[in-house]
Amino acid sequence: MFRRRFLALSAGVLAAPARAADPARKIRTLYEKGGGFSDDARSLEGSRLTLQGFMAPPLKADARFFVLTSRPLAVCPFCETAAEWPDDIIAIYTKRVIDVVPFNVRIEARGVLDLTGFKDPETGFYSKMRLVDATYDE
Amino acid sequence: MLRTLKVSTLALAAATAAQAQDLPQAGSDWFTAGQAHIDALLARQPNTGRAKNVILLIADGNGVGTNYATRLFDGQQKGMLGEENVLPYETTDFHSALVKTYNINAQTPDSAPTAGSMNTGVKQRFNLINLGENAIHDDCGTVAGNELKLFSEMATEMGKSVGVVSTARLTHATPAAVYAKTANRNWEDSVPEGCTAQKDIAGQLIDAMAAGTIDFAVGGGLRHFLPEGTERAGTGGRRKDGVNLIDEATGNGAQFATDTASFNALNLDGSAPVLALFDGSHMKYEADRADDGEPSLADMTRAAIEYLSQNENGYYLEIEGGRVDHANHDGNLARAVRDGVAFAEAVAMADALTDDADTLLIVTADHEHAIAFNGYCGRGTDITGLCMGVSQTGIKHSNEALTAADGLPYTVAGYLNGAGSILRDDADWSGARPELTQAEATDIDYLQEALIPMTSETHSGEDVAVYAKGPWSQLFDGTIEQNVIFHVMNYAVNPK
Repeated sequence: MFRRRFLALSAGVLAAPARAADPARKIRTLYEKGGGFSDDARSLEGSRLTLQGFMAPPLKADARFFVLTSRPLAVCPFCETAAEWPDDIIAIYTKRVIDVVPFNVRIEARGVLDLTGFKDPETGFYSKMRLVDATYDE
Repeated sequence: MLRTLKVSTLALAAATAAQAQDLPQAGSDWFTAGQAHIDALLARQPNTGRAKNVILLIADGNGVGTNYATRLFDGQQKGMLGEENVLPYETTDFHSALVKTYNINAQTPDSAPTAGSMNTGVKQRFNLINLGENAIHDDCGTVAGNELKLFSEMATEMGKSVGVVSTARLTHATPAAVYAKTANRNWEDSVPEGCTAQKDIAGQLIDAMAAGTIDFAVGGGLRHFLPEGTERAGTGGRRKDGVNLIDEATGNGAQFATDTASFNALNLDGSAPVLALFDGSHMKYEADRADDGEPSLADMTRAAIEYLSQNENGYYLEIEGGRVDHANHDGNLARAVRDGVAFAEAVAMADALTDDADTLLIVTADHEHAIAFNGYCGRGTDITGLCMGVSQTGIKHSNEALTAADGLPYTVAGYLNGAGSILRDDADWSGARPELTQAEATDIDYLQEALIPMTSETHSGEDVAVYAKGPWSQLFDGTIEQNVIFHVMNYAVNPK
């Protein structure tokens, strides 16, 4: 059994979210081309939903949030001088301190969609879209 | 006239030779198409004129393998099986060669010295741009005395205009090689403290525009031109020196655009330089681009040629499809091929707007990636999807996904390394391949499986191709060093 999965299951802190009837959505359904919020995103604001994606390496230890990306966040030394965030990302604010999942492992995060801009007070990371009160699993 | 007569006679001889052989396969479409190809090659006339204009189109990271994927994807999007598709630069109108892309000190090249070699005629060292072989990466002290003369500078001295277009940041390696000389490709908006031998790359672009060496510069990367703490068109500046290079450029008379609307409003009569920066960083992938936000590479190509053609002495224009490379780095073939198609459309646009009699059109890549292709897939297998079996009868694939020794299906394309690896950090770098469906494999965000886990897929040293038409394009032949591309351009503008 994978170490992270074992820890998550044994500790129960990030137990698999209760599955609702709605299927996991892709992050791109929440954005329009060009970066604006999609109609879907606006209609789902305040609702609890499940998103597929990948956990970007957390910005700090013992964080309570991470960035969910559509594709594994490749850090390309020949493309960028520092990590670059793609446009279609969403911040996931979790109920508990996060247990890091490798960046190349697909996860599902479930939480309440919040479309108000927010600057994380500790890291300064600005998110225009978030899932709050969230849980996640593979 | 005499030469034309000889060629026509040869073509006729070739066509009649096959008929005279009375081969059983002579009625096959494959056979007649093969004959037609020979006829087209025999009808070629060497173009020994003077190139008034030179257009160098580079799809970054589009080696022979990646280009193969784009060819199939483009064909399949057009309703073909895909393999038979011919990209705009793959016709018999173009001469071609294979290109060796290594750098002076690197078997696996990066985009800085590769583009530099095409713009100066000499190979260069890894991660630096347009400095001689004694310069050292990241060492500002080795800049002075090692600066190379650029093709853009030579073109300017000949009275030509110069343009640079890219979907990457204009300060990124490939476009920077048109105008910049730097000990580090990453010095896009600053140089180390105490470094006085060179400016940062953005500063060099604005200086080149002021000097008249660059007349038309369109691409991404606005953040490197704005001071930290300021914002324009939704982009925050990154310059720590507090200099606003956009104000400097417009103060020098340049026109400026940041989106499709302002780009379409530019005056292209050649009377004022053009600077357009559409994004803070790179422009959008073609798959994610909205027409009202940013123009396509083909649209930028059209505007560049319209602008530069105003100069009766001609022009040098480098056009980069910059994000084929980035999508490959992501291990995301779906985006790589869509940017590849956008590049092919830009080539077609450039070809349509120019005359072979006076314009040397060169299409190439700077390097290949660690991309590879599985077998044995049937005809028409979706190049971004699962490898389907070969049909015993008929032509199209069996529509049954082939399975590997683990009993699981696999995609046609894969990468030797990258973020698509199924090996996990939290499982002692072991892993198992998933039961992949065709819908999952062809999803726009799917990453092809990779063998070696890396956060970013790498370049490879494998050859790329070069295709060319126009004056002296026939000099492209065989297998050449990458710096030879400069020498063809240089000869074509001033033939002996």
